[in-house]
Amino acid sequence: MEGEAQKATASWESGTLAPVDRLRSVRADSPIPGLVEGTEPGRSLSHYQWDYITDCALILKTAGAGQKSAMFIHAHSFEDLTAEAEEEALRTVDSGRSEEQHEEGLKALVAEQNIDEQHSNDLSDSRTKEEDVSSEAWRSHKKHVFVLSEAGKPIYTRYGTEEALSSTMGVMMALVSFVEAEKNIIRSIHADGCKVVFLTKSPLVLVGVSRTCQSDKEMLRELQYIYYQIVSLLTLTQLNHIFQHKQNYDLRRLLAGSEYLTDNLLIRLERDPGLLLSAVTCLPLASSSRDVVSSSLQAAKSKNLVFSILLAGDRLVTLVRKKDQFLHHIDLHLVFNLVGSSSSFREGEGWTPICLPKFNTAGFFHAHISYLEPASQLCLILVSTDREDFFNMSDCKQKFMERLSKRSAYQALKEAVKCPSYSVAQVGIPELRHFLYKSKSSGLYTSPEFPMVYQSDEEQERLLSLYQELHSCLHHPTRPLRYYYRCRETENLLAQVTSGFELYLCFSPLVTKASAFAAVNKLLKWIRKEEDRLFILSPLTY
Amino acid sequence: MSDKKGPITLKVILIGNSGVGKSSVMNRYVNHRFTNMYRATVGTDFLSKTINIDGDTVTLQIWDTAGTERFQSLGTPLYRGAHCCMLVFDVTSKASFSALDGWRKEFLIQGEPKDPSDFPFIVLGNKTDLSDREVSDKLARQWCEEIRGEYFEGSAKEDLDVEKPFLRAAQRGLQQYKKHTLENTGHFQITCKQPRETRNTCEC
Repeated sequence: MEGEAQKATASWESGTLAPVDRLRSVRADSPIPGLVEGTEPGRSLSHYQWDYITDCALILKTAGAGQKSAMFIHAHSFEDLTAEAEEEALRTVDSGRSEEQHEEGLKALVAEQNIDEQHSNDLSDSRTKEEDVSSEAWRSHKKHVFVLSEAGKPIYTRYGTEEALSSTMGVMMALVSFVEAEKNIIRSIHADGCKVVFLTKSPLVLVGVSRTCQSDKEMLRELQYIYYQIVSLLTLTQLNHIFQHKQNYDLRRLLAGSEYLTDNLLIRLERDPGLLLSAVTCLPLASSSRDVVSSSLQAAKSKNLVFSILLAGDRLVTLVRKKDQFLHHIDLHLVFNLVGSSSSFREGEGWTPICLPKFNTAGFFHAHISYLEPASQLCLILVSTDREDFFNMSDCKQKFMERLSKRSAYQALKEAVKCPSYSVAQVGIPELRHFLYKSKSSGLYTSPEFPMVYQSDEEQERLLSLYQELHSCLHHPTRPLRYYYRCRETENLLAQVTSGFELYLCFSPLVTKASAFAAVNKLLKWIRKEEDRLFILSPLTY
Repeated sequence: MSDKKGPITLKVILIGNSGVGKSSVMNRYVNHRFTNMYRATVGTDFLSKTINIDGDTVTLQIWDTAGTERFQSLGTPLYRGAHCCMLVFDVTSKASFSALDGWRKEFLIQGEPKDPSDFPFIVLGNKTDLSDREVSDKLARQWCEEIRGEYFEGSAKEDLDVEKPFLRAAQRGLQQYKKHTLENTGHFQITCKQPRETRNTCEC
């Protein structure tokens, strides 16, 4: 089984850890080779995972208080490779389903009530940290995420404190080890409207507990993000080193003060379509202005400068990179998260080590982070390989500012930042409420602002989870779809994927299927017309 | 690097445990702002402020470092070349005070100041607005004497005595700066050039 497990990880890694060479060939004709389009996390794993997950189930009997209880443990094993075992497994699934009952132990992890959780926009999550883990409120959170070490030591919990959860995390580790002892790998547990998904990335174990209708694959993708977030803080080399020397090390010591980055990333995963689409979005800006901004940035170069990134809030204005070096969208999202979560860069110039795990998990880059003006949304990130490069980077920024402020493009840029989005009405399709359009070759997407009906956070999250469902269907590992049309009480949805783009549309519930399909062409035409404003068409190297 | 003509640039570095208020103190001093929201510093924040010390125009480069362990493990190249070091602690936390000795030693090792026994340290007790004080004024002064540092206390929140320690840091840093510029010229130009160099500095 050891070998099997390794194979699974290997295929995962090769699918996502895009080596530069491969990307260069794949991206040769990409308009924005600077951005690497999302290799779907999970796609490489999928054949592996889904075959087994769907085909086999194993019943774990727990001897809890005389209660006869069962839950599904999705695992894969050698035995499952035979048809006989498959049949056996299917039978156990059926019997398991009929006796599915609420299980005491699991109840500790999740509760039944579907109380909508409220994320206040307040980014300080200290209150949720203090939450009592035995309370109903704690149990009723929609989605929990736990990170623990292979020794079962708590590292992170989204809600409550890690200390209070040490026994719960112990149970999680016990489950992982129990299944491992049988030469299996635990993937997920499905019970009573709730799902527990496991991701083992030695030396860490990540566990997601969700009562949403997300697929295992989507949850794995999110756990994967959390894993990369932690790696970006420490590097995998350091992480491995620590646990090789001291298995029971309390990693919270090193992560102290950075928990909020993980908290915010989890919020982003619920709200930012970019993380779902494996793409980032741009600030709409006339291409002539963007070109001036880009060339000013391009001119402000330095020997060890690898990436220069200009952001307006969560939107990319431009990105300049060293020749032959590519920035993966996951790394870019981690940078976005770092910048968006920290207020301190506003006060001066920040200088911080950052590992970009998709680029290289072994080492740190050093990022110079500063806003162009104190109250501005425009933030410049200069990524260098040299930790002593602060003043060089500071000079680069100065050079860039000098150049930029001489041009009228700076004014145009500042104007554009004031209206960072556009209304769907501009497209001229009355029934269309909202859409996501991803250009596959560039790894960029565009989307209008949310219309009135989706103004609240809950509604936005709901719409995004609908898109997520469509996304899951289109990218189903064994039965991928090209079109998907869905009628609901509150809205009708259409999704389409081609070799060039991915499109998700949300219509009013009164739209007919025919007019929805007609709208696609109209929208594509509009996007083509607006392309040079909505996307970065001419990527730059130094 | 810092020996350019024009205003003298002094590098002041703030170190101390996480959460003692290094960033708050710096922000209060430079931007005259304070926020109650705590957010651990990521890496190092850099701010500068130009002030006048005894007739000299001085640009203070203030380096606000992260107190969290993660960044300590990464080494601290930024300590090098500092002209003054501010050790910040929280008067309501004995632990943050006790930790200063370690911070100071780490600074001396990593920062490699030319004359460690004479390097200026400013010790700053923050959060004096809080009532549950754990470190007395006396205790702090006692330790300061041992390390030949100077003691200040105040509150970034209430804007109490935040200027003083920085001004003192600038003064001490300036002394350090002048001493070493002179020493430098002395080292390199032992025989004939030293007098001429001195004359030059007198003229400006």
